[in-house]
Amino acid sequence: MLRGARMLEITSDRSRTSERSARQRRRDLIQKFAALGSLVALIIVFSVTSSAFFSVGNMMTVSLQVTSIAYLGVAATCVIITGGIDLSVGSVLALAGVSAALLAKAGVPVPAAMLCGVLVGAACGYVNGICVTRMGLPPFIATLGMMLVARGLALQITGARPVSGLSNAFGALGNGALFRISHIGPDGFPDTAFPGIPYPVVIMVVLFVAGAILLSKTSLGRHIYAVGSNAEAARLSGVDVRGVTLFTYVLSGALAGVTGCVLMSRLVTGQPNEGVMYELDAIASAVIGGTSLMGGVGTISGTAIGAFVIGVLRNGLNMNGVSSFIQQIIIGVVILGTVWIDQLRSGKR
Amino acid sequence: MTPPGGPSSLAVADRNIPGGEILRLEGIVKRFPGVVALDGIRLDLRTGEVHAVCGENGAGKSTLMKIVSGQYLPDEGTIRYRGEPVQFASTAEAQAAGIAIIHQELNLVPHLSVAENLYLAREPKRGPFVDTRKLNADAVRCLSRIGLDVAPTTLVGTLSIAQQQMVEIAKALSFDAQVLIMDEPTSSLTESETVHLFRIIQELRANGVAILYISHRLDEMAQIVDRVTILRDGRHISTDDYASLTVNDIVARMVGRSLDDAFPVRQSIPTDDVLLSVREVRREGVFGPVSFDLRKGEILGFAGLMGAGRTEVARGIFGADRLDGGSIELHGRAVTIRSPREAIQHGIAYLSEDRKQEGLALGMSVAANITLANVAAISSRAGFLRFEEEAAVAGRYVQELAIRTPSVDQIVRNLSGGNQQKVVIGKWLYRGSKILFFDEPTRGIDVGAKFAIYGLMDRLAADGVGVVLISSELPELLGMTDRIAVFHEGRITAVLETKQTNQEEIMHFASGRTHA
Repeated sequence: MLRGARMLEITSDRSRTSERSARQRRRDLIQKFAALGSLVALIIVFSVTSSAFFSVGNMMTVSLQVTSIAYLGVAATCVIITGGIDLSVGSVLALAGVSAALLAKAGVPVPAAMLCGVLVGAACGYVNGICVTRMGLPPFIATLGMMLVARGLALQITGARPVSGLSNAFGALGNGALFRISHIGPDGFPDTAFPGIPYPVVIMVVLFVAGAILLSKTSLGRHIYAVGSNAEAARLSGVDVRGVTLFTYVLSGALAGVTGCVLMSRLVTGQPNEGVMYELDAIASAVIGGTSLMGGVGTISGTAIGAFVIGVLRNGLNMNGVSSFIQQIIIGVVILGTVWIDQLRSGKR
Repeated sequence: MTPPGGPSSLAVADRNIPGGEILRLEGIVKRFPGVVALDGIRLDLRTGEVHAVCGENGAGKSTLMKIVSGQYLPDEGTIRYRGEPVQFASTAEAQAAGIAIIHQELNLVPHLSVAENLYLAREPKRGPFVDTRKLNADAVRCLSRIGLDVAPTTLVGTLSIAQQQMVEIAKALSFDAQVLIMDEPTSSLTESETVHLFRIIQELRANGVAILYISHRLDEMAQIVDRVTILRDGRHISTDDYASLTVNDIVARMVGRSLDDAFPVRQSIPTDDVLLSVREVRREGVFGPVSFDLRKGEILGFAGLMGAGRTEVARGIFGADRLDGGSIELHGRAVTIRSPREAIQHGIAYLSEDRKQEGLALGMSVAANITLANVAAISSRAGFLRFEEEAAVAGRYVQELAIRTPSVDQIVRNLSGGNQQKVVIGKWLYRGSKILFFDEPTRGIDVGAKFAIYGLMDRLAADGVGVVLISSELPELLGMTDRIAVFHEGRITAVLETKQTNQEEIMHFASGRTHA
């Protein structure tokens, strides 16, 4: 009798929870396929409508165009998982990029100059992190302030003029490629047999892999999710909540620095007006990829898909001669649609 | 043409004769995929009665309440309300018909005033604008009905939980509710607030309101409950007058066995080794100075009324809140604890009374929660997680604590309250804590899980852990502890040997008198 009653309760409990988890898994799948499926669908549609779209060359172009969104997206994912947000990355990348350009112009070796650029970015991120963790400012406000401060600094130190006249070495990172096979042809011009993989694309792949490992395979990553899922429970479990949060903002700033250096290198110019509104692309890519602005949920693979959805949309719409205004409308609708699907998944509606 | 008796007497029969039937459920069946949550439930509710529904977690109480209040439609069975068969498609429909539910988690907007909450989404208008004067006047009338003396312009967030509950009741009454469903209404109230709530329930009953009352606190039901319906595993077990039952009868029917021993026989024997020595700790305006010793293998109780500072002292020692003075010695060595992180490194653990807000990352897996306080132990030196190790650790605790979960990858949110609490305990066991503060560990947990948690506390003490049990339930303290420190207004008024004390003596010291 006793045993019978308890067993009954156990089985009913178990079937109920497993049924719930099955539903959850189904929702997760819907979300994963919604993002990936829409990416595949976009590629198919654009391949049909434009013959030039589905080619190795164009795919490489898309990849190259996606790189900045991707770097910033990786950073945004980490910050958003903790329940924060970083609106300053667009400005910080400009400040970091022009800092690197100014130093290179002043005679500092290019790798050292770029490293300084990344450090400038990290320093901005550190200030953001301190504002959030020590001064108790809401992340939205702290990084909104940094967005203005960093942009102002970038314009001030350059006198609002592009930093030009940089050496070829400064452009190597943005314009070079791995495994590029070329030789000087008989006409004296270089003859490219294989265009290679552009360095920015290499960096993107490295960041995707490193970001994914950080979040899913390390104890730090586990703590990042824990902070976003329930900061107070994490604190009472001995997680260094301030340290973890600070880390994500420093990471975000540093990756903005990397983005700035790569972008300016591609242009071989320090542009203080570069990167306006990039933070929104970064957040959009994370959100399209299933990262929840409530914190605690998100993956780098999702963000990678999100970044490519945005990149493929821009590229494909361009090739089909869609005006940039219409492009904005379409991308806006895509963001709304995917976040709506996310709401369906989390069962709020 | 008027039928005999006239319409007015009909209305009286309909509503105001005490004992007239207002709601009748017959053969209610509710299935969820893979499980029958309710299996042929019947329930009848009379005007002017308080009708308790008892059962363990998972017995079907909440599903039944959701059917009565219109959140779910039953798969089979009939609901007759005032004699008419009804089907409520939503809570709004049920509310309009006069059936209101007051949830355990209150549904108020903290940043709006009391009046604005009372008339949310049905504000009196003058043209397109809210008629603030009428709004506040209506609210005053509404609040006076239940004797709640707060200004209608007070922000709800500044009220105590008890007052917020009163606002909820006032709101339900403003819909002219004839049936009021109350889910665990006393779980977060102090004793005096509970008394006040019971007085209001009595008044409502006298006015002919039928109250469906759900609570785990069986002993306090004696003061208000007329009849009890007991559910087990989704089935109707019995409906009786409360007066004809003892608490033991109710518990026995709830769990389906007789429950002579609510507490396990203590195996652990306290030693004389002082593990933790707390001297004169205080926090301005909150508690202190407070001093006590915790010995190895001992279960020390913290008794006291809600707000007496028991939780606050535990949180202060654990480093969750700052201390303004005093000293703490561990194993005879003075230590400074500035954060939970440092406390944990010293082997101290704190199981919060609010496990959802402070104990668990609800969106993460069982495994991740169990290892949360000790991630380093399942990581390589370079900081990479070792997943097989984690799964093995989690699996071990799932088995040891009998956590009912389909797998260690299950999201904790999907577990029942008792199993969630076991996950929190698993977290601290895996951390290898030497001193454990259990803050209301059995609140809102069914009888079976309670017994398991008591057994676990005893086992921990037998292994040489020092346990502090903070509880508002005196039988629990008397059944489980070796000594009891009684708190009153932020100070310890007495430390009693459990074997030589009783409820009266504890209440005596808890109410602030210092001499027995």
